[in-house]
Amino acid sequence: MSIIELQGLGKRYPNGLVALEGIDLTIEAGEVFGIIGKSGAGKSTLARCVNFLERPTAGEVLFEGQPLSRMSRTQIHKLRQSIGMIFQQFNLLMQRTVTENISFPMEIAGWKRADIHARAAELLALVGLEDKAKSYPKQLSGGQRQRVAIARALATHPKVLICDEATSALDPGTTRDILSLLRDINRRFGLTILVITHEMRVVETICHRVAILGGTHVAEVGNVREVFANPRTSAARELLHADGGITTDGAAITRLARLLEERGLTAEEVLERV
Amino acid sequence: MSDLLPMLLRGLRETLYMTVLSTALAYIIGLPLGILLVVTGRDGIRPARVLHGFVGLIINLARSIPFLILLIAVLPVTRFIVGTTIGSTATVVPLVLGAAPFIARLVESSLNEVDRGAVEAGRAMGASSMQIILKVLLPEAKPSLLLGAAIALTTILGYSAMAGIVGGGGLGDIAIRYGYYRYQKDTMLITVAILVVVVQVFQEAGAKIAKVIDKR
Repeated sequence: MSIIELQGLGKRYPNGLVALEGIDLTIEAGEVFGIIGKSGAGKSTLARCVNFLERPTAGEVLFEGQPLSRMSRTQIHKLRQSIGMIFQQFNLLMQRTVTENISFPMEIAGWKRADIHARAAELLALVGLEDKAKSYPKQLSGGQRQRVAIARALATHPKVLICDEATSALDPGTTRDILSLLRDINRRFGLTILVITHEMRVVETICHRVAILGGTHVAEVGNVREVFANPRTSAARELLHADGGITTDGAAITRLARLLEERGLTAEEVLERV
Repeated sequence: MSDLLPMLLRGLRETLYMTVLSTALAYIIGLPLGILLVVTGRDGIRPARVLHGFVGLIINLARSIPFLILLIAVLPVTRFIVGTTIGSTATVVPLVLGAAPFIARLVESSLNEVDRGAVEAGRAMGASSMQIILKVLLPEAKPSLLLGAAIALTTILGYSAMAGIVGGGGLGDIAIRYGYYRYQKDTMLITVAILVVVVQVFQEAGAKIAKVIDKR
């Protein structure tokens, strides 16, 4: 069953800049869906249109079949409580402790203090930060901050988690930890996750399906393995190529080897094609 | 000399009374105005260009009136509110009117320092505009707001000394009456020295508290 549906979504800014056009995407409940594109390809705008942090200028967003454009401001606020979001820069409240940060969305939703307390403890355990309950964000590492952000985003039992470049400010090791936490959450709670990223590695690691954004529109959608092994559009090829070209770490080489194997090509043949 | 000390103490008490009361009342006007400026700003949570421009204009107009002129110009208003135009309480009226727009700008700049990401996170969680103001903007800006309050307090203290010209009471009044009109330089110097100490105490205390509560 689809949980989020984007129909002909478009975003044009008042200055005439077109960020998105004719985006049609269906995100199924329980899947990890990746949206990958180069920087400036409107990925973040797309993420922000899903919960109406930015209002699209064309098309419609459906959440469980309900059109967002017809909701009142209060209904949108209510809806956002069932869509968690994490960010590249974590966006924690610096003057609040870890526990207070996690409690924040529950305060907004008007929970009782005892319920907030119990849920916060549960979430601290989930992200493995029990010993940091009273710390302030400044005292935490990047990976720990993102764990706090994840706990905060999950507090009010959302149905969807939007990750907007959530690992882009983290080192590779921490990125792996955060991604495995997200995968774990997806499996254990069946939480739908929408991953916005410019890194192929992220999509490969946790996404089931992926949409490739080329310019303002969706160039390709499909299973991660298929799209990556068989890019049909130039936007997709460019993206895959660029990432492979820049990265020189072991993971990239392994990936390249796997791609070659899957397509039955030798290194020479690949070079010829390039 | 024997009657100088009680006079100075009384002056200090009056000055503190005027300054603290005026600052508190000026914040009642200035804080909401500052919040309004930030909220309705172009990058605010509820942009409203016309309202933003209008409030900004009024604040600028009010701030460009020299305090001495304001002091005299609002005398009728003072008489209406307080019943008299002489004394410390009467001085509070022009002080509040003079300081409120300045405080609005101080508050605006403190709130603008708040990380936009934190506001965005609040919005993404479904916070209403009021919740963003009360739970994100004000708490996150608290140390900076406190520093601003120390600046406001010391500035108003300076203005309150000027009120001596219209018989406003306080240390400024003493400095003008004894030091300027009667050429008693030593009295004036002592008065100014006390003012310096008071400003120093306010400023340092504000900075200290702001530093202690800041978790950034």
